[in-house]
Amino acid sequence: MGPDPDAALMLAFQQGDEGAFRALFERHARAMLAFCHHFVRDGARAEELAQDVFVNLYRARDRYRPSARFKTFLYRVAANHCLNELRRSERASRHAAGDEAPPDPDSLPSSAAAPDEVAQGKALEAAVRDLLARLPEKQRAALVLCRFEGLSYEEIAQVLETTVSAVKSLVHRATVAAAEALSAFEAPLGAVGHR
Amino acid sequence: MTRQRHPLEDLTALLDGALPSDRAAEVERHLAACAACRADERRLRGAVAALASLPPPPDLPPFFGARLEARLREERERGRRPALGRRLSGLAAAIPHPRLLAVAGAAAAAALVAGMALRSWLDTRAMVRNLDLLQDYETVSAVGVDTPEDARIVAQLDQLEPEEGTP
Repeated sequence: MGPDPDAALMLAFQQGDEGAFRALFERHARAMLAFCHHFVRDGARAEELAQDVFVNLYRARDRYRPSARFKTFLYRVAANHCLNELRRSERASRHAAGDEAPPDPDSLPSSAAAPDEVAQGKALEAAVRDLLARLPEKQRAALVLCRFEGLSYEEIAQVLETTVSAVKSLVHRATVAAAEALSAFEAPLGAVGHR
Repeated sequence: MTRQRHPLEDLTALLDGALPSDRAAEVERHLAACAACRADERRLRGAVAALASLPPPPDLPPFFGARLEARLREERERGRRPALGRRLSGLAAAIPHPRLLAVAGAAAAAALVAGMALRSWLDTRAMVRNLDLLQDYETVSAVGVDTPEDARIVAQLDQLEPEEGTP
């Protein structure tokens, strides 16, 4: 592992150099906004979350140890924050729903009819949003980190504080779910898995 | 060699270039011989391509940095604001005469005692007013809250109707 310029900036920030924090923000603001957008597929909410990520990073400066790459640390802060926010909003919406019966999985919004009804891009966007909302949270995080952020399985394992083989399984299951949810955007195909 | 099982999980890892080379070669050999796995691999590849074709995320909005800077200013202000104890000792240090210091100390102590007494009186009144509710909460805390359903009941304790036959 070569020298990590971001780690040096973070250490300078720990010593009180506010300019180092600004440099980190300039280097990573766009990536964090993109990450949060991939996570929630909602522009305004992504913006709030990305702001929160940097505020959390600012607060967490004393906890940073340069044992892992800064990028891993930042993605961990961001993934934890996005997951916490999702949990909070899901709890709030469950609470608002009161005693309503849980939704029937078969009645969840389907992407199947979308492509020929609305523009392909918007339909795909909606289908991915539905897919992400249905995925268990670790699968969602693994899918975003792998498919949108381009992190390796090893990096994802560090971000999610789990093993590479667990990441392999999470990414696979999420990709199978994506293949099923997005099948309308490909030539008609059956479900993945022939066993 | 025994007949290889379908390496479904490895198909995704193969697409992601995440398999060691010897395992990748093994899975590719299996793919060459197994039409079902080739079909699965095509579907997984299609999903990866569909996800990659999403429109790019929005660019940084104007004032994104300025808004963050405003929030961080608040953080810094909060960090700079000394704790009450330090503020009081700072005040004491600013008083030059020992006698004035004693007076200020006595006044602060009296204010503190009066405040605590008032708070305690208000707390007692609130407790008396809500004695039934308080007892309910104490019962709940003794029993424990283990499930979301328990938590919901606790949140709505004050709305519960008394059961028939209970006072």
